[in-house]
Amino acid sequence: MEMDTHAQATLRYIRSSMDAAALVATPGSAGIAIGLVGVITALLAAGAGRAHSLAVWISAAPLASLLGATVMARQQRLLGRTLFGPSVRRFVLCLAPALLVGAVLTTADLYDGNLHVIAGTWLLLYGCALMAASATTIGLVAWLGGLFVFLGIAALLLPVSAHNLILGVGFGGLHLLFGTYLIGRASHEC
Amino acid sequence: MSAKPKAHAPETTGPRGRPRLASSAHPGSESEDGTFDRLVYERVRLGIMSALAVQDELTFSELKSMFDVSDGNLSAHARKLEEAKYLTCTKSFEGRRPKSVYRLTAKGRAALTRYLDHVEAVIKATRGR
Repeated sequence: MEMDTHAQATLRYIRSSMDAAALVATPGSAGIAIGLVGVITALLAAGAGRAHSLAVWISAAPLASLLGATVMARQQRLLGRTLFGPSVRRFVLCLAPALLVGAVLTTADLYDGNLHVIAGTWLLLYGCALMAASATTIGLVAWLGGLFVFLGIAALLLPVSAHNLILGVGFGGLHLLFGTYLIGRASHEC
Repeated sequence: MSAKPKAHAPETTGPRGRPRLASSAHPGSESEDGTFDRLVYERVRLGIMSALAVQDELTFSELKSMFDVSDGNLSAHARKLEEAKYLTCTKSFEGRRPKSVYRLTAKGRAALTRYLDHVEAVIKATRGR
């Protein structure tokens, strides 16, 4: 029986080593950076009024992406790796399809005047992108993606007046919580 | 700062400091020359090989942060795996800083698979009693 317990502990160790290796490309600081952009954008969009809030969110998206990529690049450099190493490449390839679909659907919705579905579409597809990317990193990313999907469904059901708040909770609050948790866990384990 | 959980090691040694799994010699866990593959089951080496099984390549500093070992300890373990041709190491410079990148070879992957088969067999055998 002791042998069985030890064999199971060995399997758990192998699994934790694999998880630790897969986590290399997931810096908590990137989550915090994107989350801060999300919170600031939500505040700016609230001040801009309903007519311009989508424009504020659309202009914040490339900024958040750039900031997240910069933080990840810095992290990769600190670890002595190039930005587009195999792990980051796989992560981006998993993330990209859903984000590309989001961009195409946003363009189509803007063109057709379906503004009420845009917030829900963004949250849903971003959640799907994270869930897909979780295959290359920690399982926690899948849970984060699931929460985004939940918020996306909520945004589709709730009136447009609630969308800015939901986007703020998602792109701001969830990213901040996730980033803070990762940093806290890393420092706890150091 | 990235979250880098340390790989939590199982108790790999028995009462007299001998690895417990090693005592249960199993045909599936033998190396190519027929002897038990002692290289793989050591805690840090097993961790290095497991990590490289899911990441095509890892640098020295990444492995060091993952397993919380000293430079000397890690390079000694990595060298042993390199000598057995389980790993390859590519050394280069990034600016003025030396950079060592490790990759698992086909031979190393096969050795890890044999070891996993062994562990699985131990669990099955124990539960079958």
